[in-house]
Amino acid sequence: MSTFEDKVNGRGLFIDDVRLPDMQYVAFFRSEYARARVKHVKADFTSRDLQGIAAAAGEGSESDVRTPFREPILAGDVVSYVGQPIAAVVGRTKYEAEDKLSEVEVDYEPLEPLVDPEGAINSEPILPDAESNIIAENYLGKDFNVDASVVVEERLYIPRILTNPIETRGLVAHYDGNNLTVWISTQSVYSIKEAFSRSLSLDPDKIRVIQVDTGGAFGLKGGFYPEYAVVALISMRTGKPMKWIESRSEHIVASRPGRGAIGKIKLYADTRGKVLGLKGDIIVDAGAYDTGMGSFAASYIAYQLSGPYAIDRQYIHAVSVATNKAPLGPYRGAGRPEAAYFMERMMDQLAKRLAIDPIDVRLRNLSSSSFVSPTGLKIDPARPFFERALREMEYERYRGMKPGVSFFVLVPAASGGEGCKITVRDGLVHVWLGGSTHGQRHDLLVSKIVSSELGVDRGSIVYELSDSGELSKGIGAWGSRTAIVGGNAVIQACRKLKDEIVKEKGGYSPSMLTDLNKSVEVFADFRGSLNSFGANLATVQINELSQVDVLDVVCYYDVGRAINESVVREQIEGGTIQGIGQVLSEKLAYGKDGQVLTSSISDAGVLRSTDFRGRITVKIAEFPSDLPHGAKGVGESPTIGVPPAIVSAIENVSGVKILNTPIDPLSLTRRENE
Amino acid sequence: MELKFTLNGEKRQIDVEPRKLLIDVLRDDFGLTSVHSGCDTAMCGACTVLVDGKPVKSCNLLAMQVQDSEVQTLEGLSNEHRMKILKKSFLKNHGLQCGFCTSGMLISSFYLLKKGRESDDDEIREAIEGNICRCTGYVSIVKSIREADDILNKTSLEELEMKGEGR
Ligand code: FES
Ligand code: FES
Repeated sequence: MSTFEDKVNGRGLFIDDVRLPDMQYVAFFRSEYARARVKHVKADFTSRDLQGIAAAAGEGSESDVRTPFREPILAGDVVSYVGQPIAAVVGRTKYEAEDKLSEVEVDYEPLEPLVDPEGAINSEPILPDAESNIIAENYLGKDFNVDASVVVEERLYIPRILTNPIETRGLVAHYDGNNLTVWISTQSVYSIKEAFSRSLSLDPDKIRVIQVDTGGAFGLKGGFYPEYAVVALISMRTGKPMKWIESRSEHIVASRPGRGAIGKIKLYADTRGKVLGLKGDIIVDAGAYDTGMGSFAASYIAYQLSGPYAIDRQYIHAVSVATNKAPLGPYRGAGRPEAAYFMERMMDQLAKRLAIDPIDVRLRNLSSSSFVSPTGLKIDPARPFFERALREMEYERYRGMKPGVSFFVLVPAASGGEGCKITVRDGLVHVWLGGSTHGQRHDLLVSKIVSSELGVDRGSIVYELSDSGELSKGIGAWGSRTAIVGGNAVIQACRKLKDEIVKEKGGYSPSMLTDLNKSVEVFADFRGSLNSFGANLATVQINELSQVDVLDVVCYYDVGRAINESVVREQIEGGTIQGIGQVLSEKLAYGKDGQVLTSSISDAGVLRSTDFRGRITVKIAEFPSDLPHGAKGVGESPTIGVPPAIVSAIENVSGVKILNTPIDPLSLTRRENE
Repeated sequence: MELKFTLNGEKRQIDVEPRKLLIDVLRDDFGLTSVHSGCDTAMCGACTVLVDGKPVKSCNLLAMQVQDSEVQTLEGLSNEHRMKILKKSFLKNHGLQCGFCTSGMLISSFYLLKKGRESDDDEIREAIEGNICRCTGYVSIVKSIREADDILNKTSLEELEMKGEGR
């Protein structure tokens, strides 16, 4: 891969930098309506020429996608969201492909779209073969009656948020008559390879997926999209390499946003703030088709709704609903931030109702022993961690500023394990990992582990971007999993290599290793779940114009063992800004007609350098896991913990109850004028 | 149409379609792939280059608009002492994660350091306001720029002049 030196010298190889001889450019004609019958299409490639279903891939795709909700690679008789690909055209240059779009003809018969997920639950199905708009529905826990002194009930909402990496989606596909080779910006070449195989009914042995420098992802690039299948199919038809690079405008309408969740939550408590029971409805706006995440998200939020708290009675209804919007995908945290936001907001509302310190309410509901929630969430002894967190975050010192505090548990997507291959060649140690870096410094993770396991100096360790033609089996980089299972896979590969050398040569030394030409591959399985606890504290100031200035964000996160402290810190800083963005401005807005109102990356609310000038204080807690390197994962902690802490601080300072993000400054003004 | 301009110090002449954007001429016709495209609304700054010494979003200009101008991309600034110090500082302070915004960030910060600054973080933040970074949260970028500036301020003007890069 290109190194960080290459990148500061402008010599990275990102997907738009990939050029092959005779390569052509694909452009998509997309639906202008949220819902319509398509009566006629005239274009180079339509659903009549290219048929297929885009397979589910990436985080949350474990669940089976049911037939009526699967997304066709090009829309057939109906379109179900603004931006849905209807046809594709090809040009020798990007400009020529775009010109050809103006020649595409589509006749629509517009239909009434369903935009509101709650309304869609009982409405006529938006998809012809579906019986209803319910993509998935589950009841978690067990129904209960409880004698409670107080019941607090609220409806909370987080709108859809775009992932918005600065590099959009893109790929180059080349079919040479026998094999399909794909270069792609991705979080996992394995999820992509499998999805290509399923979507195109191609033998997986004939597909090679190669990752190129990946310019951010945040959940977006673990998934598989209709456009990918179309680009590959066109290459198979024409025999020419095909490239598609998503424009930002396409990203806004047709990539998969995250969040989009409503929580109607009820807490039953005694007068001292002990929560006796939790009931709720989680409603996820899954968009028009199920991509895995759509059906997965609601239950996943419900499963971890109680977070670190020991709540004995729980009964949660989780429903994913189809609406006339782009399908839902994962966004940094993927269900975890939604759960923590709902729970932490409710803890604050309970505290207010009882006029008890919100910290006391939280502590009262933490257990000093392990706990398994009625939904199956396993929690380590939590109370000692959070008592310590308050000291570490210097809660008392900030008290006068009316800080907001949040407690949460990150359960990383560690299950399933990860693959690693090491090849020693010409004195260099090349390492491939199953999860694909998209900015998290996997290179430093790898070089630290390999140098300490094998004793070779870091200069001779080469971290390679993923390539399914090198390492045969892997999973992917999402759900805060790489440091945990990726790190473990690197350790297992190093040990296997060492063992083999000892067996062959009767001993081991680093120079023996670098004199060899040798390769090992492992898949290090991992079952079970881990807890990374975390706490945040935030302070804000609200000016005369009701604008919120975030002053301080303090993070106290358990990372197990930090493999590289500065990398951990930078992951936290980056995620913190995304968390602040969620509270202050980030939102993908839709009109009643299902049109996308958000028009640009600025409009989507992504923060700029001047939007937050406050201070981020990072304190790393190290309670090692049982894995050889003790890691636990941290990538998503800030997007989980920061939003509820900031919203809580805004509520404390303004006195205005806040249930939804992003906050509406006007609502803060209204209160002041009262 | 014929476009004549100076690109990274060399006089260039090329036939371009009048509608072609500067970013595409730089990337496609001259292979200058440090220039990245991150949006289509001139809002992300990934495509920033210097035109006659000033930072400009190359996605927001027709190539023909740089007729007779001087254009510099990251590739063309690699021998500048200030740029070398900036790059080192970005590497040391992890001023990049995915690296996609980096060329644009470097160009905007190079311009800031070249024109001189009061050395407070607010001014740094304002200088890179047009460059969106989704990965770092800007903290490490601001630190990288500040540290590069501190180093440059310690390097005396004479030294710069000896290197032939004095103002
Ligand atoms: S690509 Fe030019 S500003 Fe975004
Ligand atoms: S480092 Fe990824 S966008 Fe800045």
